[in-house]
Amino acid sequence: MKRSRSLLLFFLPFIIFTYVSFVVFQKACDHAMNVQAEKKIPFSHKTHVEKYGAADCETCHMYAGNGRFKGLPTVADCKMCHDGNTAKEKAMFAGFKDSDVPWTSYAQQPDLVYFSHIAVMKNEKTARCASCHGDKGHSTTTSKIKGKMPMGQCMDCHDALKISNACMVCHD
Amino acid sequence: MAQEKKKESAMKRRWGMAIDLDKCTGCGQCQVACSQENNIPLFEDDSELLKRVVFLDVMKVTNDRDRAAQYPNVKTAFIPKMCQQCSGNDPKNPKPPCVSVCPVVATDVGDDGVVSQVWSRCIGCRYCQASCPYEARQFNWWKPEYEGSFKESLNPEVSVASRGTIVKCTFCSHIWKRERDKMLARGVKDINAVQYTPACVSGCPTGAMVFGDLNDPASEVSRLAKTDRAFRLVHTIDTWDEAKKKEAQAKKDYPNPKVYYLSSQQWLRDMMRFK
Repeated sequence: MKRSRSLLLFFLPFIIFTYVSFVVFQKACDHAMNVQAEKKIPFSHKTHVEKYGAADCETCHMYAGNGRFKGLPTVADCKMCHDGNTAKEKAMFAGFKDSDVPWTSYAQQPDLVYFSHIAVMKNEKTARCASCHGDKGHSTTTSKIKGKMPMGQCMDCHDALKISNACMVCHD
Repeated sequence: MAQEKKKESAMKRRWGMAIDLDKCTGCGQCQVACSQENNIPLFEDDSELLKRVVFLDVMKVTNDRDRAAQYPNVKTAFIPKMCQQCSGNDPKNPKPPCVSVCPVVATDVGDDGVVSQVWSRCIGCRYCQASCPYEARQFNWWKPEYEGSFKESLNPEVSVASRGTIVKCTFCSHIWKRERDKMLARGVKDINAVQYTPACVSGCPTGAMVFGDLNDPASEVSRLAKTDRAFRLVHTIDTWDEAKKKEAQAKKDYPNPKVYYLSSQQWLRDMMRFK
């Protein structure tokens, strides 16, 4: 009895250390991969698509700047439909500002990638939003779809649609 | 024999450049514009050759080497020298000397004939630097250090090269992508309609540099490239007659660069041919 207790006492620091470092590293990896990109608002994509009949993604996610990036809606964009008069909406808009937690995108492209949304979406051979972002339209959260965006995924589409796969098409 | 890489591509352009050395005043604006555009730090002391990284180098040449010329005849010229975007013997099946030696496919030829370099992919073996006939490739021995507020003005479209990678001029291909995005926003889907100007050409105050499509016979570049004043850097094969040229090209690939220099000064033409 005494022996087992002393053994447990001996290993307890190691067990705690392992557990703590596991948690710390998992958090660090999640942070690096931008997994918890969810903005803490009660927003449901599914409701907006099915109930209110948002025509397509571009109703709220517009092209920003020169079209390289898809914009994320601001409070002003929400207020184009929601006047914010009901008690529920009032409570929501009171506690939700653009400056709170910034929206984060599906996958931050590395520095060497010149990815342009408008080149992929508005070309002759167009992709769909869901080709890369998954079925976000029917999800009930604003969270990011887990996963990276490996180069192979881009190249598969380029191969299938007979688009050039030369390095310079995307890299710089 | 390696298998023939003959791919049909939607890209019909073949970008090239013509630089009039008689118009060039050597002001160095092209070099500064290039460095600013491609996130290259400006160096305090250009004589530190190991530290210095430039895509476009303005070289001073004179006919006074070893006191060859006397006072009234001494002449000076400036040669803006960047990656010459070699294409090998057959421009339709480009084989630049640097591409075949790269072990990690960090450098490749695009559909528009521009030799690309992805410096994040480069492992720094420097084979390509050794194979380059024009010394256009530069090796980053150190991490780029930006002075003052230069870092705030970095171009987000060009990645910052890390230490231990080869960098080179890519004819500002990110500007092409930017222009393509602008055209697409306007609803023009034809990539051959996209025209662009690299940073060095738009910076040139005297109009000595001209950029355009070599496949288009009406463009100013292809018109200038066909004139008698045009020659290419260290490319003696251009002056040979057709039979001798064919014979030489059967034996090996010549660089066949897409940057043309124009000059009517005979000493300069001789010097650039290492005569």
